[in-house]
Amino acid sequence: MIEVNDITKKFGRKKVLKGVSFTAEQGEITCIIGINGVGKTTILNAIMNLTPLNEGQILINGETIHKHSYEKITFIPDAIIMQPNMTIAESMQFMADFYDSWNQERATELLDFFKLQEDEKINDLSKGNRAKVNLLLGLALDVDYLLMDEPFSGIDIFSREQIAEVFTSHLVEDRGVIITTHEIGDIEHLIDKVVLLDDGKVLKQFNSEEVREEEGKSVVDVMREVYQP
Amino acid sequence: MNVNFNKRDPVYMQVIRHFKERIATGVFEPGQEIPSRRELAGRLKINPNTAQRAYKEMEEAGLIYTERNLPSRITKDEAILKSVRGELIEEAVDSFVHSIRSIDVPVEEVLELVKEKYKNDGEEVQDD
Repeated sequence: MIEVNDITKKFGRKKVLKGVSFTAEQGEITCIIGINGVGKTTILNAIMNLTPLNEGQILINGETIHKHSYEKITFIPDAIIMQPNMTIAESMQFMADFYDSWNQERATELLDFFKLQEDEKINDLSKGNRAKVNLLLGLALDVDYLLMDEPFSGIDIFSREQIAEVFTSHLVEDRGVIITTHEIGDIEHLIDKVVLLDDGKVLKQFNSEEVREEEGKSVVDVMREVYQP
Repeated sequence: MNVNFNKRDPVYMQVIRHFKERIATGVFEPGQEIPSRRELAGRLKINPNTAQRAYKEMEEAGLIYTERNLPSRITKDEAILKSVRGELIEEAVDSFVHSIRSIDVPVEEVLELVKEKYKNDGEEVQDD
């Protein structure tokens, strides 16, 4: 479990996170929702210990993050950070050289799943395919938790569908996934837990299936109540 | 296998309904092997935990059964299979009655209309 306990983050005088708490379980897909600029990416960076916190604490399987935590968790940024003149195969090799947790078998399976050709250059790929390569490079790591920043942002509907399908497949297995998004649309059925964020605070967190069962509401219904009272 | 899920009913209940419809219409035969939880999640594009929940509920209700580590199968229990059909029919009639009642139409008129529509609808389906 990832436990985010009452974290506060300031950039200069501006408080970006104001006491954020939530948990994300292994085997579940947790979705952090909020319009842009509410601190979603900062939360993911904080979980990865890429940005020091002013207050609060983050625990991964009960421990504060240390160097071995990076064998358990990975962060997939919202855009690919490989050199654009590299081929997909070269990017995969780069990851394999760098990470002990690289799983070549799963990487090959993902290539097939996304229908990507490994000799293609990153530069020549469509935006949707670039997003898929970006995800592939993270998903192929044998880690317990995957943090994905806006995996659906700015890409075509068919690529979005394909990416959504990964979540239902054995390629994610029983790992814990945290994704940020500002648009819930086509993934409403796929997520377990929803964390609604605004202005650096968690307004509400709930299990999407429970809210359907107990209140007969869709995730978007709850969002409307919370964001437009 | 394709299901149009609505957004307000629990997904696991919609999955169970999908199974019941297929059992009632004979698409799923007694004793037929069904996809694994993971396969079902992939095919219906739903969360694997939801697929797991649907299977658990169906197992408890006796709609499906699992022997040791073998794939799950549709029940062969005649009584359960029969009740599934009855249950679906009753549900559909209930919701129909509920909506037609609010417009206050005599039952004879409704039945006449139902017969007519049923016939036309049947012919259209055959044309497809």
